[in-house]
Amino acid sequence: MTPSALLVVLLLAPVAGMAIAFLASLSGGKRAAVVAETAHVVAVAAVAAIALALAASVLTDGNVLAVGSWLYLDPFAAILVALIGLIALLTGVYSLGYIRHDLAAGTIGTAQLCRYYGFFDLFVFTMLWTVTANDIVMMWVGIEATTLGSAFLVGFYGQRASLEAAWKYVIICAIGVAFGLYGTMLVYAEAARVLPDPGEASRWTFVVGHAAAFDPGVMRLAFVFVLIGFGTKAGLFPMHAWLPDAHSEAPSPVSALLSGVLVNCALFVLIRYSAIVTPATGAGLPQTLFLVLGALSIAVGSLLIFVQTDIKRLLAYSTTENVGLIVLGFGIGGELGVAAAILHMINHSFTKTLMFCGTGNILMKYGTRDVRAIKGLAALAPATGAMLIAGALALCGIPPFNIFVSEFMLVIAGLRAGYGWLMVLCLLLLTATLAALLRFIGGSLLGARPQGARPGEVGTLALAPMLILLAVVVMLGVAVPQPVTRLVQGATGVILRSTPATAAVAAPWQPSWRQQPN
Amino acid sequence: MTGLQLVNGLASLLIVTSLLVIEARGAAQSALYYALQSLVLVLVFLALAATVDAPRLFAWAAIAFVTKVVLVPAIMYRTLGRMSDPTLAPRRFGLAWTIIFAAAVVAVCFAVVSAIHLPGAATLKPALAISLAHFFLGLTCIVIQRNLLKQVFGFCLMENGSHLTLALMANQAPELVEIGLVTDAIFAVVVMVIIATMIRAKLQTLDVGQLTSLRG
Repeated sequence: MTPSALLVVLLLAPVAGMAIAFLASLSGGKRAAVVAETAHVVAVAAVAAIALALAASVLTDGNVLAVGSWLYLDPFAAILVALIGLIALLTGVYSLGYIRHDLAAGTIGTAQLCRYYGFFDLFVFTMLWTVTANDIVMMWVGIEATTLGSAFLVGFYGQRASLEAAWKYVIICAIGVAFGLYGTMLVYAEAARVLPDPGEASRWTFVVGHAAAFDPGVMRLAFVFVLIGFGTKAGLFPMHAWLPDAHSEAPSPVSALLSGVLVNCALFVLIRYSAIVTPATGAGLPQTLFLVLGALSIAVGSLLIFVQTDIKRLLAYSTTENVGLIVLGFGIGGELGVAAAILHMINHSFTKTLMFCGTGNILMKYGTRDVRAIKGLAALAPATGAMLIAGALALCGIPPFNIFVSEFMLVIAGLRAGYGWLMVLCLLLLTATLAALLRFIGGSLLGARPQGARPGEVGTLALAPMLILLAVVVMLGVAVPQPVTRLVQGATGVILRSTPATAAVAAPWQPSWRQQPN
Repeated sequence: MTGLQLVNGLASLLIVTSLLVIEARGAAQSALYYALQSLVLVLVFLALAATVDAPRLFAWAAIAFVTKVVLVPAIMYRTLGRMSDPTLAPRRFGLAWTIIFAAAVVAVCFAVVSAIHLPGAATLKPALAISLAHFFLGLTCIVIQRNLLKQVFGFCLMENGSHLTLALMANQAPELVEIGLVTDAIFAVVVMVIIATMIRAKLQTLDVGQLTSLRG
């Protein structure tokens, strides 16, 4: 099968899973649950396999265009597709144990279980749509659709808090993304004026090629709208208000999808637009706005992490902080800054998924998200406890875990670009995160096991995806694999509109740092 | 009257219909006013299609008629008409203040649009300013109204504003783009209506001020 055909199948697989799950929800019964689960697992496994095959194809054979030029895959999109595929598979399998636990506890019924998988696959489809779209309006449609596809997952339990979170999520994101539409329209109108064929004025690949001829004033205005719009969806301060509510109230595997990949999809679209805007306006405006919003997001995220008592809200604020770090990397710019930002997107995705899956195990074990009530997890469920300790240390940016590598690259990029004071400030702010996560490790994960609590893990289906995630977190921390390095370098070239970058995408102890001048 | 004057005149009618949607007493009445507003929007599309030689806008007008004049108002009239919250005051500000505020928003948007160099849409600046004002009136409706249902209508107003901007600035876009946007808008309204219905059933209120369990 050609890569173009594979790209179409990639989008069809979750749609098929969704359709079967929703049909099963109509009949209900135990058999319906089995049908929905099977269709879901086959769909997410197919998505993961195809996503990895497409990423490999981009590395070996170059970019992929499909369905005319409506769909497009370059190294940047390939990274996102591979991330969505892998995280969807791991959280999709994790969901089996988690949702069955809810079913056994009587929290949900069989029909609701089927609907969960239907909405899960719909959500995966909308994210894939967003990152494979070559049409800027369709990217916007995709981002809006991610909200609609995941709103019912956020409000899944139908409780007061989850419905409230779902409402805020839908309203705030709908408002924010409406701003994004204005930015999209401004870019389109300008492209229709400049491009020889107005029919190509919404295709990113064509638009970006003519971007230098666009009116700088219109592009500046467009970028502000786009930043508000897609920045809202990415959870950037000050548009982040929906994020801690939605991420904490959704079922844990969905929280992982929201934190691990959805924010990356919004950042992806934002960066696609900055590639259009920069040739007309110069890099000054996008980079300055990225630096300011990035630093503010790090500050707000880090400080609010410290006061959280709900473990999932704590992790949600950590997402705002990490989105800030990613945006800061794009703001610093240059090959190393952009490469650090992209690698951080990957690293944060895997680490945060591991942590949210871990909190799912905590919920199944303790029935609460309150860190003051969670004690001695490592003694009660040693495997979950150990993996959560490793994940928390990774989030702290401690070697040999993956987050350290991208943060190291980011700080070096910042120092080389002359942002020494900003790097010092960010490192100081990150100590608040370190303190909050160490307090979580000491207070909730270590220590004596609570009186009367039954020791034991929550099941293989919950542990296996976490083990794989931990392996990836360690692998990316010890030595960044060559295919990842090449994809990140290729994506950096796409964003900077140059040839593939040569910046070292590697841990400080890897030979690349000595071989490359940077 | 020239075609462009007709477009700009009809566009200004949208502001009047917006005020009707915002100020209507009940959700059912707002739904009817929203249908009226969407009809005006369809007329703008038709006038624009004939004036600026954009035949695709005829198809846009047809799609907008089916979805925004008939489908969405019908969904809202049937679903929201049954929901009410007697404890909830209809609005925070009086009619006079709403009109003054709307006038101020329109004036600011005119000033902003006049100041921007828009090579592709210079002759349609009045309509463009109104479409932007319409967008911000919808946003204001969401911000100031305590009623969940009024927030849904606020979103609809924002969406009509951006739809008009799209027609003014991007009327060469393929129909598929228009279909994608409208489909998204319909689903957004449907999702909002369903969640509002669930909140009404669970919390026995439509008051946004009661949604206070998530803080910090």
